[in-house]
Amino acid sequence: MALIWEGIKQAFILIFTGNEEVYEIVLLTLVVSGIAVIISMILGIPIGFAAGLNNFRGKRFTVSVINTGMGLPPVAAGLFVSILLWRSGPLGFLGLMYTPAAMVIAQVLIATPIIAGVTLAAVQQLNPKLRLQALSLGADRIQVLWILAREARLPTLAAIMAGFGGVISEVGAVMMVGGNIKGYTRVLTTATVQSVRMGQLAMAIALVIILLILTFAVNAVLTSIQQQENKTWAKRYWR
Amino acid sequence: MGEKILEIENLKKKYDSGFELNIPYAVFNGNRVNVLIGPNGSGKSTLIRILNMLEKPDNGKIIFRGSDVYSSKTSVIEARKKMAAVFQEPLLFNISVYSNIVLGLNLRKIKISSKKEVFDFLVRKLKLENLLDRNPKSLSGGEQQRTALARALILEPEVLLLDEPLANIDQLSKEEIRSDLFEILKQIGRCTIYVTHDRNEAMIIADEVIVMNEGKIEQSGEKNIVFRKPANEFVARFVGVETLLDGVVIKQEGSLCSIKINGAVIYSVSDAKIGDNVMVSIRPEDVIIFSTEMADDESSALNRFDGIITEITDIGIFKKIEIDCGFKLCAFITQNSIHRMSLEAGRKVKAAVKASSIHLFKA
Repeated sequence: MALIWEGIKQAFILIFTGNEEVYEIVLLTLVVSGIAVIISMILGIPIGFAAGLNNFRGKRFTVSVINTGMGLPPVAAGLFVSILLWRSGPLGFLGLMYTPAAMVIAQVLIATPIIAGVTLAAVQQLNPKLRLQALSLGADRIQVLWILAREARLPTLAAIMAGFGGVISEVGAVMMVGGNIKGYTRVLTTATVQSVRMGQLAMAIALVIILLILTFAVNAVLTSIQQQENKTWAKRYWR
Repeated sequence: MGEKILEIENLKKKYDSGFELNIPYAVFNGNRVNVLIGPNGSGKSTLIRILNMLEKPDNGKIIFRGSDVYSSKTSVIEARKKMAAVFQEPLLFNISVYSNIVLGLNLRKIKISSKKEVFDFLVRKLKLENLLDRNPKSLSGGEQQRTALARALILEPEVLLLDEPLANIDQLSKEEIRSDLFEILKQIGRCTIYVTHDRNEAMIIADEVIVMNEGKIEQSGEKNIVFRKPANEFVARFVGVETLLDGVVIKQEGSLCSIKINGAVIYSVSDAKIGDNVMVSIRPEDVIIFSTEMADDESSALNRFDGIITEITDIGIFKKIEIDCGFKLCAFITQNSIHRMSLEAGRKVKAAVKASSIHLFKA
């Protein structure tokens, strides 16, 4: 018990005394996961909408692939990206193995199906007649998509939160493709594993606390946007 | 009669379920309320979706102001922008009531400020003044449908399509919205196509009535003609004719026909010919009841029957009386008259119907 308290105490000292290594790790974690989530949103939200709104041949198969992707084990994603980026692999010539870029690619592979899957579920929950109502009001195809996207905005935010949660807490894939190189590809999760292995429990506890605070902060921001939407509408109008 | 706004020609649409919509021709004029009536599954809502170009017909033309809407891709959107529709469900979006009302204006790139007067009128008339900031989810069903009506009406469409807009609303709100809506429709004077399966609603609001059954138009025309002179048994039953009798024309003098039915003779003003097999249609509100003590000899009605009341049922503001005159004759009568004449089942009465109120169609 004393060990834990000591660890927590040291953790706060590390956080608030400006430990450079810790700050570097936090920054890289946010940059890698942030970029990965943004790319995953750009890919996943349109995929979710396209699969949810359209009827096409192979739709059931596509939805099954997306749902399987939502449960993709991070080590499998890591292995796949490793094979691609390995020096002798198909994309080996890019020289991306053991770089933050490789970590972003692996995280995109993990987050995209999560965001696509949750978006798909959200879109399928929409009343299909809303599309007809939008058309009836005079909307063109782009306007219909925009209206429906706006309609599904709250569950889409939940999709983004799920995607972010999925990648920021992930360790297997980033370890495999990033290599946990100090000062270059070390992020909060891989650093925590490293610290535990080395018996530096205070450092490990500090990193986990920071990870929890970060996850909480990002989700708190997204949740507050989501809940704000449900509050009274205060739009100005003439009168 | 207004100008031709919307016409359909040789319209066909077949569904996997086997249902087929088949309308050789129909026209909807401006400044008229056209009411589509028919039982569930008769194709009324399908026709509305096709007229709004939300579904494409397999065959045929939809002609809006003289040109085929499917002649080009842009013409569909352009024609649709001259229309507005309200469906059974309010189908409001998860934005404020105000934003919902002006959504169509935004989509059609119409300046909201140019519609200020219409907005104020509709918001006042549809009692939405205090709801504009609210999210539709927090509104009652009636308030939601009022918002949907305002959203369509603010567009001042050339064609207003209303697909049973009052069907999912509780009775009390329904009466209230119905009277507000009907008043607005009379004021704005557009080409309105109103779907309902409630013939009383049709009676109140319609200028023209189109009776549909199994994907086909059974009869269309001026309300009074459809209601008083149904073209066939289906229409007669649907527009509320309670007494329908098979008969044969046995005499023709001028325009007065004598029709033999089940042991009695009925007189009707008609151009039917001797020997024609006809169906005699008598609307219940055209039947006058006399007690046996009252003399009916001085009445101008040619058709007079003696009978016995077999049943009296309550149908809201009227009572329906069934009389056995050798055939079953139905009459509507007020509660007041029931009391005044002490009418009850088993009592002998006399009934009279003017020959001009009796309609014949071919059996």
